[in-house]
Amino acid sequence: MKKRLCILLALVLVFGLVGAAQAASLPFKIGLITGTVSQGEEEYQAAVKMAARYPDSIIHVTYPDNFMQEQETVIGQIVQFAMDPQIKAIVVCQAVPGSTAAFSTVRDMRDDIVIIAGVPHEDPAVVAPYVDLAMETDQLRRGASIAQLAAEMGAKKILHYSFPRHMSMELLAVRYQNMKDEAAKLGLEVIDVTAPDPMGDAGIPGTQQFILEDIPRQAEIHGTDIAFFGTNCSMMEPAIRASLDAGIIFPEQCCPSPFHGYPGALGIEIDEEHKGDVPYILDQIKAKVAEMGRSGRMATWVAPINMVFVEAGVELAIKAIQEGLDLGDVAAVEEAVFDSTGVKLSMNRYLDDANFYLVIADSIIF
Amino acid sequence: MNQVKRLISRNAVPLLFGIVCLLGVYFAKMPGQFLLMEIVKRMARNSFLVLSLIIPVAAGMGLNFGIVLGALAGQIALILSTHWEWAGIGGLLLTALLATPLAVLFGFLAGMLLNKAKGREMITGMVMGFFANGLYQFVFLFLVGTVIPFDNPRLRISTSPGLRNTIDLSRIKGTLDGIWEVRYGFTKFPMVTFLVIAVLALAIWAFFRTKLGQEFRAVGQDRHIAGVSGINVDRNRILAIVISTVLAAWGQLIFLQNIGTLNTYNSHEQVGTFAIAALLIGGATVTKATIGQALMGTFLFHLLFAVSPNAGQTIFGSAQVGEYFRVFVAYGIIAISLALHAWQSKSLARASLEEDLSS
Repeated sequence: MKKRLCILLALVLVFGLVGAAQAASLPFKIGLITGTVSQGEEEYQAAVKMAARYPDSIIHVTYPDNFMQEQETVIGQIVQFAMDPQIKAIVVCQAVPGSTAAFSTVRDMRDDIVIIAGVPHEDPAVVAPYVDLAMETDQLRRGASIAQLAAEMGAKKILHYSFPRHMSMELLAVRYQNMKDEAAKLGLEVIDVTAPDPMGDAGIPGTQQFILEDIPRQAEIHGTDIAFFGTNCSMMEPAIRASLDAGIIFPEQCCPSPFHGYPGALGIEIDEEHKGDVPYILDQIKAKVAEMGRSGRMATWVAPINMVFVEAGVELAIKAIQEGLDLGDVAAVEEAVFDSTGVKLSMNRYLDDANFYLVIADSIIF
Repeated sequence: MNQVKRLISRNAVPLLFGIVCLLGVYFAKMPGQFLLMEIVKRMARNSFLVLSLIIPVAAGMGLNFGIVLGALAGQIALILSTHWEWAGIGGLLLTALLATPLAVLFGFLAGMLLNKAKGREMITGMVMGFFANGLYQFVFLFLVGTVIPFDNPRLRISTSPGLRNTIDLSRIKGTLDGIWEVRYGFTKFPMVTFLVIAVLALAIWAFFRTKLGQEFRAVGQDRHIAGVSGINVDRNRILAIVISTVLAAWGQLIFLQNIGTLNTYNSHEQVGTFAIAALLIGGATVTKATIGQALMGTFLFHLLFAVSPNAGQTIFGSAQVGEYFRVFVAYGIIAISLALHAWQSKSLARASLEEDLSS
């Protein structure tokens, strides 16, 4: 049943993307601003894809790589969209510092522009009044959702790999606590494993070596019905490889995305044609995992969330302008995102008086 | 002929930069309206900060990387004034008043330190800025909410000590710019801000005609001779830094009232480097800087930064290659400018030597 559901989901995803991928021109323009590939490959590729989907209607520019220092350039890049009367929406992902100042200037100049921000870096309460919609990954709810997914995949115990520097971060600490609470409810045990800090003396190789050596050790002690979760990006590739070898469960990465760790660990080459092609990479991962006889043990989110933010941002802006979609109606927004991107997001309102949503996506089990 | 040659070689840096800017304007194909708006805004934001660098240069202390301290003083005052909910132009003036004693204190300490590091003022100032930044983060990220009682929910992080990373300055946003604005299309010329900048420029000009100003110059030309002729060198150097720091604090307030949000831990970071780059591009050197060079430099520097993203994009047809090109050109030109300085001062020295020999 579960397998069938997965296949159905994958099909929906594929058709959803194909359905939406027809090139079309809009009667207005949308200004889209992302980082360059040195800051985030996913957002840039998603923006390139959107520009291809709506040729001549999407104006894609990038913010400076050292955006922290060049805030005035960030502001200028965003504000210039407001000069073009044809531009009816501005989508920014990630909304780096300076965005709020730019949004408020845009609002002063024009009152007919829809502003959508993905991953705002500035304080939510400060950004929120100037945007029509903001989206950010929901770290806190992930605590519970990871535990649920692990249980669903058959885990009896969750191994939580982290180190003191990360556990002193507010969001990560609360996420860990939420994971433990939910696991207790589900009858799962959470085992805290302290890994070497990649910023410490042994560096990233030290952390990666520890992960490679520790997972088989844990599998020997606790059996293979254990789920791995690590808080640091550099752990992901070795963890996926070691989990596959040992046969343990891997529910999702620290930053869930099919592009994070999987291509490297499974040796999947992504050629020029398939850059940023989500259905392709999902198929490839599924095939490789099945080849190794580990189907049902590995998972991630159905789409890289920042890519979804870019795509959903553009599509929501179009719907808001053309169909008068109410961006304050969470259910309608979720539905609109699913209709246009094929990705089911679960959105949670973060602030009472603004459309600032914390988001988690569905998982896909390979 | 020789005169033309000398004129060109003296102004090689602004000339080169001007040419690159013109090319940028040509390729960027930006609407003139937007360009005008950007330049007016950026001039209004930054001119005051760049002008605050002139006095230490005249006093022989080089480019004051320590204006970061002044910016910090301005920001601390702003954090407090936001906490106390001061609003309007009165609120801004009160904030400036509050920032002044802080800036005087910081400037005094910086001046004392720089007196211990004569001849190495610039690198000392730069490292001092980093240190002050660390101290600032320690205070506002850790002490606030633990040692210092502070529980304003709009400023504090809700679950741990420290201030939020963004502070909304809507109470004072545009209060100075907005007193008297002349509109031209989309562009609003903030007349009062420009008036304040003009007053500062005039004040600096007048200052160098006072006895104290002449003493600064004398110290700048030669510390030992100035000392022998009875000028208190150390006191004058501290005074120069104090004035510069206070001006930088006010300059940062002008900058932030235009932007409207304070990025608590980052707004000050770029202040020193960018203001100094602008001054150098105007043709100033570490030993000589004029008001004209400061304003010209601010104009050219920000013109290039305003047009370069679009220029890069139109030339290469790709958003990100445009960005890489922009960084390459913008910072490359600044590096060339600095190299040109070295070449210029050498050739000037040689020219004056030849003149001396022939006469």
